[in-house]
Amino acid sequence: MTGLSSAGLSSAGLNAAGPDAVGLIATVLQVVLVVVGAPLLTGLMRQVRARMEGRAGAGVLQPWRDLRKLLRKEPIDPRGTGWPFRLAPLVLAGTALVVAAVVPLVTTASPLDSAADLFAVTALLALGSVALALGGLDTGTAFGGMGASREVTVLALVEPTILVSVFALSVRAGSTNLGTIVGLTEADPMRVLSPASLLAAVALALVTIAETGRIPVDNPSTHLELTMIHEAMVLEYSGPDLALIEWASAARLTVLLGLLGSLFLPWGVATGGAAGMGALVAVLVGVAAFAAKTAVLGMLLAAGEVFMAKLRLFRIPELLAGSFLLALLAVAASYFLAGGA
Amino acid sequence: MSDSLYAQWLALACGAFLLAGVLVLWRRDLAAIVRLFALQGVALGAMVVVLGLRQGSVHLVAVAVGVGALRAGLLPYLMRRALDTPRPGGETAADEARETRPLVNVATSLLAAAVLALVAYAVSQPIVRLSPDPATRAVPVALTVLLVGFFVLVTRRRALSQVVGFLLIDNAITATAFLTTSGVPLVVELGVSLDVLLAVLVLQVLTTRMRAAFGGTDLDELRELHD
Amino acid sequence: MNLPGALLTVALGLCLATALLALAVPARIRPALSGVGTAAAGAAGAAAGGAAMAGQTWSAWLPDLLPLAGVRLTLDPLGGLFIAVTGGVAVCAGVYGIGYARHGLSGRIVQATLPLFVASMLLVPAAAAVSTLLVAWELMAITSLLLVLAEHGRRPAVGGAGLWYAVMTHLGLIAILGGLAGFAAGAHGEAFEQLRSARLSPLARDAVFLATFAGFASKAGIVPLHAWLPRAHPEAPSHVSALMSAAMVNMGVYGIARVGLDLLPGSTGGASGGGTPAWWWLLVLAAGGASAMYGILQAAVSSDLKRLLGYSTTENMGLVLMGLGAAGFFATRGAPQLAALALVAALLHVVNHAAFKTLLFQAAGSVLHATGTRNLDVLGGLRARMPYTTALFAVGALAASALPPGNGFVSEWLLLQSLVHAIPASGVAGAVAMPLAVGVVAMSAGLAVATFVKAFGVGFLARPRGPEAERAVESPPSMLGGMGLAALCCAVLAVGPTVIVPGLARAVGTLLPGPAPVTGPAMRTVTLHLSGIAGTMSPLLIAVALAAAIALAAGAVRMFSARRRRAARLWDCGAGPMSPRMQYTATSFAEPLQRVFDDVLRPEMDIDVTPKKESAYLVERIRFHAMVPDRIERRLYGPLLAAAEALGRRARALANGSVHRYLAYGFWTLTGLLILLAVIP
Repeated sequence: MTGLSSAGLSSAGLNAAGPDAVGLIATVLQVVLVVVGAPLLTGLMRQVRARMEGRAGAGVLQPWRDLRKLLRKEPIDPRGTGWPFRLAPLVLAGTALVVAAVVPLVTTASPLDSAADLFAVTALLALGSVALALGGLDTGTAFGGMGASREVTVLALVEPTILVSVFALSVRAGSTNLGTIVGLTEADPMRVLSPASLLAAVALALVTIAETGRIPVDNPSTHLELTMIHEAMVLEYSGPDLALIEWASAARLTVLLGLLGSLFLPWGVATGGAAGMGALVAVLVGVAAFAAKTAVLGMLLAAGEVFMAKLRLFRIPELLAGSFLLALLAVAASYFLAGGA
Repeated sequence: MSDSLYAQWLALACGAFLLAGVLVLWRRDLAAIVRLFALQGVALGAMVVVLGLRQGSVHLVAVAVGVGALRAGLLPYLMRRALDTPRPGGETAADEARETRPLVNVATSLLAAAVLALVAYAVSQPIVRLSPDPATRAVPVALTVLLVGFFVLVTRRRALSQVVGFLLIDNAITATAFLTTSGVPLVVELGVSLDVLLAVLVLQVLTTRMRAAFGGTDLDELRELHD
Repeated sequence: MNLPGALLTVALGLCLATALLALAVPARIRPALSGVGTAAAGAAGAAAGGAAMAGQTWSAWLPDLLPLAGVRLTLDPLGGLFIAVTGGVAVCAGVYGIGYARHGLSGRIVQATLPLFVASMLLVPAAAAVSTLLVAWELMAITSLLLVLAEHGRRPAVGGAGLWYAVMTHLGLIAILGGLAGFAAGAHGEAFEQLRSARLSPLARDAVFLATFAGFASKAGIVPLHAWLPRAHPEAPSHVSALMSAAMVNMGVYGIARVGLDLLPGSTGGASGGGTPAWWWLLVLAAGGASAMYGILQAAVSSDLKRLLGYSTTENMGLVLMGLGAAGFFATRGAPQLAALALVAALLHVVNHAAFKTLLFQAAGSVLHATGTRNLDVLGGLRARMPYTTALFAVGALAASALPPGNGFVSEWLLLQSLVHAIPASGVAGAVAMPLAVGVVAMSAGLAVATFVKAFGVGFLARPRGPEAERAVESPPSMLGGMGLAALCCAVLAVGPTVIVPGLARAVGTLLPGPAPVTGPAMRTVTLHLSGIAGTMSPLLIAVALAAAIALAAGAVRMFSARRRRAARLWDCGAGPMSPRMQYTATSFAEPLQRVFDDVLRPEMDIDVTPKKESAYLVERIRFHAMVPDRIERRLYGPLLAAAEALGRRARALANGSVHRYLAYGFWTLTGLLILLAVIP
């Protein structure tokens, strides 16, 4: 209850308008980076997979080529669908954009930082999934319903892990605001190596995999009805709608990996403390650090996927119960070992 | 060794110790369970090494090496051997090497472990309050592992899982001893280690005999002896 | 008499006048009259509550209205909040009822009871003495029971639901009566003023708290006393369901808050709840957590739309009780700011829940009105047939699943903030309870998402699964108006919770008179700032950012793809058009969840194979029946009911038809009593 003020870390407490402007620029840069970079990350991951499996791969730029092709096609509304079907890709993309603007990827001084904390980010991502699930249900096909049903089941089971991990992260920062947590970790990098932080990192990594539909929870490249979750929901989408969905999936993955990077490897994230040229340099360093961290995490994830098989659908609760246990242990460890208050 | 570095390394060792303990509940593969147990032995050894360095006691570091060698080397080796003994009859290896149907399913076990951790924290507060230093604060970790070990004993069917459950309890007791009193006399430690070794050997013999008698190591089959 | 007093009097007068007029006028205009009267009374009540929340208090003693004790009324910010919520719900329900009641609900009794029900709910939070509270409480029970039974002629299930409700509400009344009577006896007076200054022994205080908690919790539908709720709420007419589920259950919360945080702490001499034992509040927290989990789990696997909403009420009341329990607990631990935050979260959730549950029950009623069924498995395709109802239900579902930009999200966010920041202040018990509480809130939020995706996606989207849904037409404007009002409330609460937060803070101030007035969020900007905790969130900014981002995405797509949209067939694997029966139903949608929570829910399955006459190996028909029973009801109430029945059967031996025997009972009783009187000195 010390009321650890975030004023020193966010732009609010600083006298000049300079840092505000820098924060704004950095945020715009961050969004642009996610918009442009997300398909590249997907391409990179596919390329890594291909190489490790002994294939040549289509190149890092392939997802962008796919998007361009899809955007040129005509959008098709299956008969019997209505506004939920049409709105779903837009909402999914919209939530991804908002999250990309809120989360401290390049800078902690986003003007939107005080508008949404980690709980709100989680809820926004869930909103995107819900929109897509409703879009899937609206088609009235068996696949759409199946995908929606599985998606919301996973969503429901993921939620406790995320929020308890947030709890663990917020215990020391005294706040759930992302900028504050990242800023504090950056100021004291050794705390990354504490058990609480490591356990929370593993728990959040597991739920990131579940949320973004990667192996072993879901396979983004499958079209087998027994196993697919995400793909089942989007079967009826085509053209620009599908392009939006593909982009948004990539953007969610990018943002979540970037968030993991910022929370547990916060080096390089601009904190908005400096002014003038210094701040600009900090932002540029932040951009480079974000790109590098996300690329490395993505490659690790892709490499891991090569060696893993997808879990049976009804084994997923075990995985998520395990991640919940880790998150709870993270909370416990944050006062077991750190000595509480 | 500075205060913060000591606290941090101790916390890391304890974290690994705890994690290896609870992950035993997650895995079905007995070989993986044995690996986790070995990992826990390493973490225990590391914990004692950190304590020894802190106190500048060569004696404690030597004990740590011994503890680590026994719990991360010898015992896992013996268990692996029990696991790998060829089976009489046509029992499939895949079935035997896994904890296929624990009495409490895996997801519930994991949630139970979460609750056990909180219980351990709550009940060990009086001990922690006696001398709140980093080592004593880690006592709840050891207590959690003890409860988890007991839980493994209660809910797992295979004889080897039972051995691991028993050894988890022993690890936890050893950890508690080192954390609260910074080590027991060498003689006592040696005696305990010898006991543990003997117990594992006895259990290994039991496992082999069971397999010969029943063709499997499901402990519930022992019920037949009752009639 | 000041403003809130006058407004409350007007509201009560309007209710009474409407009830009397409804008895007199012909059936044709009766629903309109009753609806308008109820809505007007609700508006006056809401204004009275609002004025009380703004800080104008009022009290009155009417010694002649009731024998012996008279009627004592007080309007303070806490009571005002609940009166305002009731009033708001009554406005929506009244407007909605004009259209809804036209079909077979225009009977004299039903239409005259509706305003009386509202009046009783306006009276309960205004009561300032035990007898007044109990009379209002009983009036509320009886009027709501009459309304639940309104459609007993049409469905046999209504009678059973009414019986459950009647029995449980009266058992609850007995518990409250017992608790408060004991309290009043200990305090030597029954006015709340006297109760506050009473001196009770710790044992007596525990007994009072436990008895009243049980009674009030049963009204709030808290597990395991919830059994009546998923029966009675679905069987009542839908605007009555809305009143019960959005307004009446709140009275349980009000009772617990009033007794536990206001009346009892005073009786120990300690200030601001500091004197109450912490285990009370941990009990409240645990009961709330159990209700949240169990309620939403049952809702997630239910395929009856109104039953689903009823269980969701149990869940939401559970969340409110978690906030209340956390508030009481923090108060005992000397953390008034956290306590105030948790209480603000709980009260805000009461308001939010009232808004979206009114909307959802009314929309469900609209569906029922149009299709004649509540079974989600045969619904679907209402998006095209009932566009307004669909859109309005979507607003309510968004709020109920606690996602931004819905209003449910704001209060759950506040609740989570208060739980997350509890560790330093709350000691070992808190350190163990709070992580679990966060887990429970998160799980219930996740399952709520699944539940309402199912309710909306299966019930309203895609194609009709049965002939009932195919014939559906949009509801009349008065019903849409009632729903629209509720949706408007949801929207306002969703983007501007800062508007009502000062009022809530004042209500909190009546319970936890802390030293600092800046407790809880302050209305500085559109952002919710928490005092004492570095937490900020701005629902308005999130909504605006979301709208902008969606517009941006839409614009980008427009810019890059110039081609027009084209309609085409669904992909059907080339096997010809798919029939609506191929769609996922509510049951199949919930199947994965049901499987995951198999150990908790214990679904029952029944396979019935009818072989052909010629051979047992040839199957003619297979009937598969699956249901998810309410396990608590089965395991807890089943044995109780069986025991009561067995007792009743044994008691029948007492009455074997012989007149002499009956006379002998009287004779022995009389002599026995006389002997007893002689023996007792």
